Amino acid sequence: MRKSPFCAARVLVAVTASISLATPVLAQDTLRTNRLEEVVITGTGTLHRLKDAPVQTEVISRRMLDSYGGKSLEEILSGLTASFAFSEGDMGSQMQLGGLGNSYILILIDGKRIHGDVGGENDLGLIDPQNIERIEIVKGAQSALYGSDAMAGVINIITKKHTEAGIYADNSTRIGSHNDLRQHNTVAIALGKFTSQTNFQLQRNDGWQNTAEEWAEGMVLTDSKNKTVNEFRNWQIAERLTFKPLSDLELYAEGSYYKKNILRPRNGSHPSCDVYTYDLRYNNASAAVGGKWFLSDEALGTQRNYITLDADWNKHAYYYDYTARTYEYVLLKGEEFGDLNGEWYSVANLPGQSKLQSDQQRAMAQLKGIFYLPAENILNAGAEYRYDYLNAPDRTETGTADDWTAALYVQDEFNQLGWLNVTAGLRLVDNRNFGFRLTPKVSAMLSAGDFRFRVGWSQGFKTPTVKELHYRYLHVMGSSTFFNIGNVNLNPQTSNYFSANLEYRGRKFAASVTGYVNKLDNMIALVNVPVGEIPPGITTAYLGDGSDNVQARMYKNMDDARTYGIDATLSYQVMKELTLTTAYSYLDTEAHLYDASKDRMNTVTIDGTAHHKWSAAATYSHTFCPRYKLGINLSTRGSSTRYYQNNGNGKAFQIWRINTTHDLGKSGKTLTYRLELGVDNIFNYVDRTMHPYHLGNNTSGTTVNATFTIKFNAGKRVKNHISSTKQHFNNEED
Amino acid sequence: MKKINSFLFAVVAFCLTAPVFTSCSDDDKNENVTKIVNNIVSEYSYNDSIVAAQKAKSKKDVAVLLVAFGSTWNNAFLAFDKTKAAYEKAFPNADVYVCFSSDICINRASAGENKDDNGKIVKRDYYEPRYLLHAIGAAKYGKIYVQSLQVIPGEEFAAVVASVKKFMNNGFIASAHLDDAYLAKLADDEAIFLGMPLLNDPEKDVPEVAKQLNALYSSEAQQGVVAFMGHGNPDTYDTFKANVRYEQLEKALQKYNKNYFVGTVDMPDNYKQDVMARMQEQNINSGKVYLHALMSIAGDHAHNDMAGGALEDQDEEEYWDEEEPESEDNSWFEFFKYYKYEPEVPLAGKHPLGLLELEGVLNVWIEHTKKAEFLEDAYHSMYPEE
Repeated sequence: MRKSPFCAARVLVAVTASISLATPVLAQDTLRTNRLEEVVITGTGTLHRLKDAPVQTEVISRRMLDSYGGKSLEEILSGLTASFAFSEGDMGSQMQLGGLGNSYILILIDGKRIHGDVGGENDLGLIDPQNIERIEIVKGAQSALYGSDAMAGVINIITKKHTEAGIYADNSTRIGSHNDLRQHNTVAIALGKFTSQTNFQLQRNDGWQNTAEEWAEGMVLTDSKNKTVNEFRNWQIAERLTFKPLSDLELYAEGSYYKKNILRPRNGSHPSCDVYTYDLRYNNASAAVGGKWFLSDEALGTQRNYITLDADWNKHAYYYDYTARTYEYVLLKGEEFGDLNGEWYSVANLPGQSKLQSDQQRAMAQLKGIFYLPAENILNAGAEYRYDYLNAPDRTETGTADDWTAALYVQDEFNQLGWLNVTAGLRLVDNRNFGFRLTPKVSAMLSAGDFRFRVGWSQGFKTPTVKELHYRYLHVMGSSTFFNIGNVNLNPQTSNYFSANLEYRGRKFAASVTGYVNKLDNMIALVNVPVGEIPPGITTAYLGDGSDNVQARMYKNMDDARTYGIDATLSYQVMKELTLTTAYSYLDTEAHLYDASKDRMNTVTIDGTAHHKWSAAATYSHTFCPRYKLGINLSTRGSSTRYYQNNGNGKAFQIWRINTTHDLGKSGKTLTYRLELGVDNIFNYVDRTMHPYHLGNNTSGTTVNATFTIKFNAGKRVKNHISSTKQHFNNEED
Repeated sequence: MKKINSFLFAVVAFCLTAPVFTSCSDDDKNENVTKIVNNIVSEYSYNDSIVAAQKAKSKKDVAVLLVAFGSTWNNAFLAFDKTKAAYEKAFPNADVYVCFSSDICINRASAGENKDDNGKIVKRDYYEPRYLLHAIGAAKYGKIYVQSLQVIPGEEFAAVVASVKKFMNNGFIASAHLDDAYLAKLADDEAIFLGMPLLNDPEKDVPEVAKQLNALYSSEAQQGVVAFMGHGNPDTYDTFKANVRYEQLEKALQKYNKNYFVGTVDMPDNYKQDVMARMQEQNINSGKVYLHALMSIAGDHAHNDMAGGALEDQDEEEYWDEEEPESEDNSWFEFFKYYKYEPEVPLAGKHPLGLLELEGVLNVWIEHTKKAEFLEDAYHSMYPEE
């Protein structure tokens, strides 16, 4: 009998599909054209005007996305906020928010956490930028709803959904320098109670090399073939079906498949630094079902209370695709190996062969309800169960590992005084290894005219991941090789986040200043350990597999870390057609690392952090005639020096970018067209610091791009989005 | 009410169903095992064919396997080239093979191109000792020498011994067993030899190596300190108590000149700060300190742990841990500089030299091979009842 998590997940999904109800399709119909009408959901799980959101929320609106024309989520987040820093690695995107890395940032797609990491880095290629309706960012572990492990914050990506009756199809093709291609397609059909939406995306880039210099073999090699960003290609297909059997019941089922290849240089000549014998591949799959059930009697016109149930399964598998004969040290287990049973042996993998490195699977179920209670209270309560399964034959002691976490949460928004909103939440987490933990969150907002003052305190709690506990692998990065080792003796990480925010949001002018302190205890990090600390069972693997300069690193609880910061944003609508926006972020970090071998505490800066980051944009749009609308977005972003403990600091940089949009054809017609032309890094800034020293920014210099989009819309009602969503909004809120 | 019931039922059903996950299927496991077995067997035959071709070409009946940990550095590859050439000269009747025990070093060396002494691009293939031994057995060489290129008889050497014993016991995948009669004949003919590491014998090897090093560096020792940096086994893994060889070598060298010192990267109580403490005991508080690697090749340790800061000609500054000068992250060069000595890393071209590149020392290894003893009791028949 073949039993695998995959089969079990399918059964699970099928069972739940047949009986479940409800989804949080809360956000799709909130297209705003007016800044004041911007609504957000992430902080509390309930819809609020951005202006009145009890929890400070940063929004990247559809309008900003449209005029910016970013090709990837990295480009969007780094260009349209000042809060994020990126450095693209082999494995994915090393992202930082408020000085904390990927594992502290919770990325949600329509409220659901994305799944899978390699080396702690998420693959943001999973997110099709053409399919983003808007992005909401909530900093710190401020929301009780999504898990207390979001110590740095939550990024909620709200996708476009085409649920109106009729047929909708679009095609968007973007080409750019370095053989860059971004292809996006949507086909959506709505027939009676059914809707279907199919999305396809393809992304490709040949990568680039900023410098051929590399410090290796005790000298500067001048013909290194290591690229600054490696060549990659990926594609994804996703399907979402919805069914509305009753006026107060919505059901959905969705699934997706994703594949990514990272192709490393094949023409390197130096075995010490630029020779690779395998490429990397990821395969993701997901399936989800759920529904949303409105509880109130529709006749009362208060269809507001609702319950949702969601169940999903995700898989993220990571493979080596061998391009040359590659010996790997493997522990042979099985009678088939005869005399070699139980021995560590060098096994050759041949070109064309692939090998699974890790397969992370996750099943989750979430039940939640929102209840509008008397005395202006909104109660938000829910339960969540999550099961994690890791299959890594050569990278865990027994080949597999698993974990589960359950959580209950309750949150109340108290708004009776009108000028004061208090939102308090509690999240109770029960983890298989670490038991129960209660984390409180409180925020308060004072309103006076167009001014808002917000304060917040939240506790975070993050149990070690399955990988941090059990995973071990050899990580080869150019001339450096690390042996990374999981640690079953880890303790959970905890955090306390304090923030204060002052905001003014008028019709033409908006400004916001937020100060925060995030204190983390037991922070988990990979730290160098002497060979003597490697667990006995895997010393052989380490010694046999290693290069001549392998550094062993183990996940350990560091003592504590603090991040302090100030974020400020300004937005000014100079005239109807011209808006200026700017964002600035100040950050300071301090981490204390206990060095056991020397019995002392080291104070260090968190790697990759910069004190100052900024972005600014001028957005102009003008409708020349009903058939032509022009948009121009001129923007800049920059950062001061990025600090690292080893291999030098990253240089300060500032980059300028222009994007123009040309909307052709009358809106409301069956066919509309859009042309976008853009130049990134107008002044050709390039950081040519040699490998393997850190870059401040990995841009290749000036690049150009062009996008052509066709939208086909048949039978869909032409709706006045503003009035319809406002009505919906009023229903939710007032 | 019906809706509530079905809703609750959904929750209960989900909670019951969710944990039903099982581990990787047996089918997957079998498939994986079969794949590994096939890959091992095909790798045996790949190595067999290379060695068979070499034997057919050279028509020699003696094989010499040199086993080193390995490197990915070109100057180290050059050192292995010269070592191989010296062995071919010393053993004109033998085919000489260089093996690495590090997988990564083999993979990258064979996938990359390297430059030989004349700057010409060459492809180099190094072998995995167990696969190469299979190939030598399949080619039925009449006499086999396995020579360890390690400095001290520590854990890496133990792995070499284990590989040879496994070979003599036909320890291969069943479908790729060697002809047992051939192995029996090797044992009967006393034709399998194991060459010991450089500093194997404290009575003979240590004084001989000291003599060779003094011959090279006596003029430096007259001008200042000559400090050698060995690797050393970290405490837990000093399985063979082999670390003591470094102390013995220092004593032997100091018979020539008190200015000789021998320290390590990894041996407890014999780090750079311990070397400096011993220097200070002799009232050597300033002056020249010549740094040399006591490792078979000069790779990462020699360049970074020993010479870091001495070689860089780029803008990047060498890392220096200010809070703790003796930190293992600080190089010997930077350390001695910090304490007001005048460290110097003598270079041959752009690199310090490894021991294999010192002719007198290489000859000690070659003599070990020539005098290698027959590996007794290694062979046990696969068919004891016969």
